[in-house]
Amino acid sequence: MEAVQNFMELSQQVVGFIYPNEIEIHWSILIVVYPYITGLVAGAFILASLVKVFNVKELQPTYRLALLTALAFLLIAPLPLQLHLGRPERSYEMFMTPNLTSAMAMFGFVYLWYLMSVLLLEIWFEYRRDMIVWSGEATGLKKWTLKVLSLFSTDISEKAVAFDKKTVKVITVIGIPSAFLLHGYVGFIFGSIKANPWWSSVMMPVVFLFSAIVSGIAIVMLLYMIIMPLRGGKIDMKCLDKVASFLFYAVIVDFSIEVLDFIHRLYESEESIKILSQLVTTKLFMSLVVLQILLGMLLPLGIMVVIKVFKLQEELRRLLYFVCAVLIQMGIFSTRWNVVIGGQLFSKSFRGLTTYKMELMGIEGFLVALTLLILPFVILSILIKLLPPWKREELAGN
Amino acid sequence: MKGFLNKLPEQAIRVIVVFLVLAAGVFVIRQFIIPPEMKEPTLQKLSSMEREADKEVKYAGAQACGPCHEKQHDIKKTGYHRDLSCESCHGAAQKHADNPTDVKPTSPQKRDYCSYCHTYNSSRPTGFPQINPDTHNPRKPCITCHDPHNPKPPQTPRSCTACHAQIERTKAASYHALLGCTVCHSTPEKHKLSPRTVTPTKPDTREFCGKCHDKASPGKGVPAVDMNAHGEKYVCWQCHYPHMLGGI
Ligand code: HEC
Ligand code: HEC
Ligand code: HEC
Ligand code: HEC
Ligand code: HEC
Ligand code: HEC
Ligand code: HEC
Ligand code: HEC
Repeated sequence: MEAVQNFMELSQQVVGFIYPNEIEIHWSILIVVYPYITGLVAGAFILASLVKVFNVKELQPTYRLALLTALAFLLIAPLPLQLHLGRPERSYEMFMTPNLTSAMAMFGFVYLWYLMSVLLLEIWFEYRRDMIVWSGEATGLKKWTLKVLSLFSTDISEKAVAFDKKTVKVITVIGIPSAFLLHGYVGFIFGSIKANPWWSSVMMPVVFLFSAIVSGIAIVMLLYMIIMPLRGGKIDMKCLDKVASFLFYAVIVDFSIEVLDFIHRLYESEESIKILSQLVTTKLFMSLVVLQILLGMLLPLGIMVVIKVFKLQEELRRLLYFVCAVLIQMGIFSTRWNVVIGGQLFSKSFRGLTTYKMELMGIEGFLVALTLLILPFVILSILIKLLPPWKREELAGN
Repeated sequence: MKGFLNKLPEQAIRVIVVFLVLAAGVFVIRQFIIPPEMKEPTLQKLSSMEREADKEVKYAGAQACGPCHEKQHDIKKTGYHRDLSCESCHGAAQKHADNPTDVKPTSPQKRDYCSYCHTYNSSRPTGFPQINPDTHNPRKPCITCHDPHNPKPPQTPRSCTACHAQIERTKAASYHALLGCTVCHSTPEKHKLSPRTVTPTKPDTREFCGKCHDKASPGKGVPAVDMNAHGEKYVCWQCHYPHMLGGI
């Protein structure tokens, strides 16, 4: 009965002609959360790799934080999909009986590769020496957790530590294409859906990738600015400025690619262009034009230009960086929303639009999505407790 | 080999062991726990084909009834219901075809069954015979007047509404409400009997509308336009759909 009522309500929101199976949207807010989270993972990792591979010394204070952030979000990334599909306990079968012809099934392997062979390994080698030292200092449960995590390894000779360092570097080099793959793949899955003109575009993986880098850098910047003072440290302005300037360039690249995609579509003017422009000017006006482009991109870009041109003082700069990073997060979340929800709002007949009505309580609802967005931060706080990203000397401000 | 292993630092060996254990786990699950047909797509296909083939056959098909029910088959063949299969009304009848004396199919004698297809609904195609069951000879079963196997109406429909109800309704609310359909469509009587083979005419030039709307020779009380300038070269109904003039 409720379903029928829900359907009747939706059908009154429909504009123009739409096929019966298009009235209700099936990829819900959970599918919005999923590319948002994987994007943060890939972006945070790229920031970390700037330190190890490209030797950007100023960014050192964010290195470990970026790795832990990536891990915390990566652990949650499959959850929205599993909740959406149901039967999460069967998901391991994807690895046991690989289906080589399904792009979605193969994504499981991309995920697994990234988790096991890149992120966990890199974090393990990075922290191994510290874990051994800390487990010597700690007592009780923490001691044992650290011991297990370090796989009972004990060698902290100079030679062993040098080996760790070298391995971390190698893994990071492999990790960069892997991170590209991870998020490019999410874009690929959307971009390869021929029947949907809003998605079907070779630009999709690239657009996804750069928006991922933008959101990842911004989230690490935010976390750095929040956590550092909480742990009694001082924010390193040199580092923050550097992060911000990388963020600035990433936003510019992301913006130009999206504009390119847009112009390309306009010029090509395929038969879908009418309905897509109607989509953008009506149903997606708020989330695309206002939130994503104006507030999520142009405003932060403007603010960062002002910061660069007027050489503002430290206090003000910090405040503005914070505002920028928050705006960018919101903007990128809207980007994901506009791709996932936007792509389902118009009819394949190109003659009508429907509406998405978000549930509040259900498994595909707002509360679940919110929980999924909060969970990574809970995991991150545990990770930071266990594996502090900064040593005491660093916190003291040196 | 031995030398190489010795050269590896101990932590690397630990990591390798962890990965080997995981790989062994996968191997064991794949080898001993997962049933073979889940791993082999051809086996999967085979078993689902078997599963489908094992299903009971319920419908005999459109060709099956003719040999035993020649009478119904022959009259239906030429009637309006020629495209309907027997089982769309009589239900699945494979069992009856196998064993005609013991199993009898049902026959839908009530009005509501015919109404599934014939109740007025604007999404049905132009000309599909539709009625309003509340007003069309209410309460009597349809089959008292229409033979289900050859549903020729007992008399030729008088008005176009019988089959063009949608157009009739919108026209009734338009500026042309007072014009009969035949003013614009000269309709042969045969159209009402075999609508698909004999079709009425449709206006095909601007001048057709100009007969009444030309400024040069305006009809009485008819709004007039300059035929040379108004609407450029387009036919009038590209802008004014004649059955529905609510807008312009
Ligand atoms: C092998 C021959 C045969 C085939 C094939 C067959 N029928 Fe019959 N059918 C009969 C016989 C015999 C009767 C019984 C006549 C009687 O009892 O008066 C019958 C009776 C019927 C009746 C009347 C039932 C009643 O209550 O009086 C219907 C309706 C019917 N068949 C429909 C069908 C349909 C539809 C099909 C095709 C799927 C079909 N039959 C195929 C032999 C057949
Ligand atoms: C539009 C629906 C419809 C279709 C299609 C249809 N029938 Fe019938 N049929 C009926 C109805 C309703 C009756 C009951 C008539 C009555 O009780 O007077 C009936 C009665 C019968 C009977 C019982 C004897 C009689 O004539 O009353 C037979 C036999 C039969 N149909 C066979 C067939 C066969 C064979 C076909 C396919 C060639 C077929 N029907 C297609 C609706 C249909
Ligand atoms: C499965 C759908 C279906 C059912 C059930 C059905 N019909 Fe029909 N009917 C049709 C179709 C299709 C036509 C042919 C329309 C055309 O020629 O375009 C038709 C045509 C007719 C006509 C048309 C005559 C005309 O002048 O065009 C009449 C009368 C009719 N049916 C009566 C009935 C009656 C009475 C019943 C119930 C016993 C019935 N129908 C059940 C589909 C159905
Ligand atoms: C009292 C006899 C009678 C009954 C009962 C009856 N009809 Fe009719 N029906 C007619 C006549 C007479 C016409 C043609 C004249 C007209 O346009 O009304 C007709 C026309 C139709 C038409 C339009 C096809 C056309 O060519 O105009 C359809 C469809 C139809 N009937 C279906 C049904 C259905 C379905 C039922 C049962 C719900 C039904 N009829 C009950 C007598 C009857
Ligand atoms: C028995 C049902 C029936 C009746 C009664 C009927 N029509 Fe039709 N009419 C049809 C069908 C069915 C078509 C669709 C023919 C096709 O698409 O091939 C049609 C098509 C038409 C067309 C379009 C022809 C074309 O070339 O596209 C016109 C105009 C039309 N009818 C006018 C009328 C008028 C005017 C009347 C009343 C005087 C009328 N019809 C009565 C069934 C009917
Ligand atoms: C003022 C003139 C006028 C009147 C009155 C009129 N029509 Fe038409 N009709 C047209 C024109 C013009 C077209 C469009 C021709 C075209 O598109 O090529 C048309 C198209 C049609 C068509 C085929 C296209 C369609 O819409 O499905 C049908 C059927 C039809 N008319 C039926 C009717 C019926 C039934 C009536 C009476 C209720 C009626 N018309 C009254 C002018 C008229
Ligand atoms: C037989 C004469 C006649 C023909 C043919 C005719 N019309 Fe009309 N039309 C009228 C009359 C009479 C009115 C005014 C009705 C009223 O205002 O009550 C009218 C009103 C209109 C109007 C509304 C004008 C307003 O007041 O806004 C339009 C538009 C129109 N006709 C378009 C057409 C088109 C297009 C055609 C050709 C398919 C057409 N007419 C064919 C008689 C005709
Ligand atoms: C390009 C679109 C277009 C075409 C083609 C067109 N019209 Fe119009 N027509 C309009 C518009 C818009 C109006 C209302 C605005 C106005 O009064 O100019 C109108 C108004 C009218 C009126 C009402 C005038 C009044 O004084 O109230 C009539 C009658 C009319 N059209 C008849 C026709 C006829 C007959 C044709 C074909 C010869 C035709 N139109 C072709 C767009 C069109």
